[in-house]
Amino acid sequence: MLSKKSALLAAMAAGALALSACGGGSDDAGSGEATGLNLVSEGSLTVCSDIPYPPFEYEENGEYTGFDMDLMKEIAAGMDLELSVQDVGFDGLQSGAVLGARQCDIGASAVTITEERKANLTFSDPYYDSLQSILVPTDSDIASIDDLAGKQVGVQQGTTGATYAAENAPEAELVQYPSDAEMYAAIQAGNVDALLQDLPVNIGHTEDGAFTIAEELPTDEQYGFIMAKTGSEELVAAVNEQLATLRENGTYQEIYDTYFEE
Amino acid sequence: MKRSTRRRLTQGVLYAVFAAVVLFVLLAADWATIRAYFFDLDVAIAVFPEIVTIAAKNTVVYTAIAFVGGLLLGLLLALMKLSPVLPYRWFATGYIELFRGLPALLVIFGFAYAIPIAFQWRPPGGNAGAGLIALIIVSSAYIAETIRAGIEAVPQGQVEAARSLGMNGAWTMITVTLPQAFRIITPPLTNELVILIKDTSLLFIAGMAIGDRELTTFARDSLTNQANATPLVVAALLYLVITLPLTQLVAKLERHNKRGR
Repeated sequence: MLSKKSALLAAMAAGALALSACGGGSDDAGSGEATGLNLVSEGSLTVCSDIPYPPFEYEENGEYTGFDMDLMKEIAAGMDLELSVQDVGFDGLQSGAVLGARQCDIGASAVTITEERKANLTFSDPYYDSLQSILVPTDSDIASIDDLAGKQVGVQQGTTGATYAAENAPEAELVQYPSDAEMYAAIQAGNVDALLQDLPVNIGHTEDGAFTIAEELPTDEQYGFIMAKTGSEELVAAVNEQLATLRENGTYQEIYDTYFEE
Repeated sequence: MKRSTRRRLTQGVLYAVFAAVVLFVLLAADWATIRAYFFDLDVAIAVFPEIVTIAAKNTVVYTAIAFVGGLLLGLLLALMKLSPVLPYRWFATGYIELFRGLPALLVIFGFAYAIPIAFQWRPPGGNAGAGLIALIIVSSAYIAETIRAGIEAVPQGQVEAARSLGMNGAWTMITVTLPQAFRIITPPLTNELVILIKDTSLLFIAGMAIGDRELTTFARDSLTNQANATPLVVAALLYLVITLPLTQLVAKLERHNKRGR
């Protein structure tokens, strides 16, 4: 008796599977055709970001804000889309996995445009020129990148700052941290002698007077928003168009001044 | 319908369902995309020698240190918890409850950052050292409970027999109770070891120098250089290469123990 019932159940399950397999296929092809943008969720721009990374993205009063987030808000508004932000790890962003998995349409997370990343990602036009910098305790004798030899220097894993440090301060002993939160704790604990990372983030740590910027390091790096390698052509064009508009009408400068000019 | 026919029919349907599920997964997955992001052979080849000689080696070394340290400290704690001296018992109970209750990540964070800030003292061995001390402390809390359970599982008659032969308490513990206890707890201790192998991946929170990176940190780092998630897959396979033979070895040991009894 029991075996007959389970056989029936199994047959039903197989049937349901077959049906769902067909359904899945046709569904996929249809989505996103309405706008031509091939969005993950119709009517909204889904943004992935590795939060927090002030001043580019952080949470304030229960809302995600920061330079990248404000730009994204304007871009989504200009495209008549709702903005939906998801906090993801930086690994998933720069490997392109979150975009390939269609978890989001676009990544806005202070991502530097590099040739390696272009293998898996499409970048928007650059929206920010980035500087690296060295943060040290106020009483430190480190004055420039040349003084880092033999010192322990904190860098953020997976960032261009880490690459820059490896190339330009080969004598330094680099210590990698998952994010700025651990790096800042590490320099406070005396675990490292200096931090090498993006200038705006380091500037944020100079406010209480215990730390200072030893040197600003000019690079030719720029940040771009990231989108899927394939099938995102229309979205890239639309985002670039919005960026150009924001630069023309002064909104970009307004947002820039909010975060970078005191 | 004969009963055997019916059984064969049922089995046939179950096989068919299994095949259908496998087929569904194979057909539904977007293999081209998956391969591009996770199974890029060139990337795997590029990371391969170093991920074994640096990262896998460090994972094994860290696990060994944390396990041996945890075992010694855990044994001490288990004996304290069984001790007739009350303050020892209280201390061991409090310690076990505290470190079994806290996530390992937070304990590592505490040793790597909070203690240097509070006492201007840095644990030996740099960041990896601080992280390993934390791992030893966390694992010893779990191992202590396992060992205590093992000691209590040794039949009381064994102790009584040993005492009647004139052995003192400590000698009885070392030669009679503990060997039998460890035989009993081999399977849960293996679990502890396998969990510890994976927990070494939490050391990243303490900050890692280039040569100190274990498998997960190394893989995430390679992900950056290659801008591809394949190194994570290589790391996953290496974890299996480490854990699978280990569990096989313990299974063998267990069979051997059973025969010995």
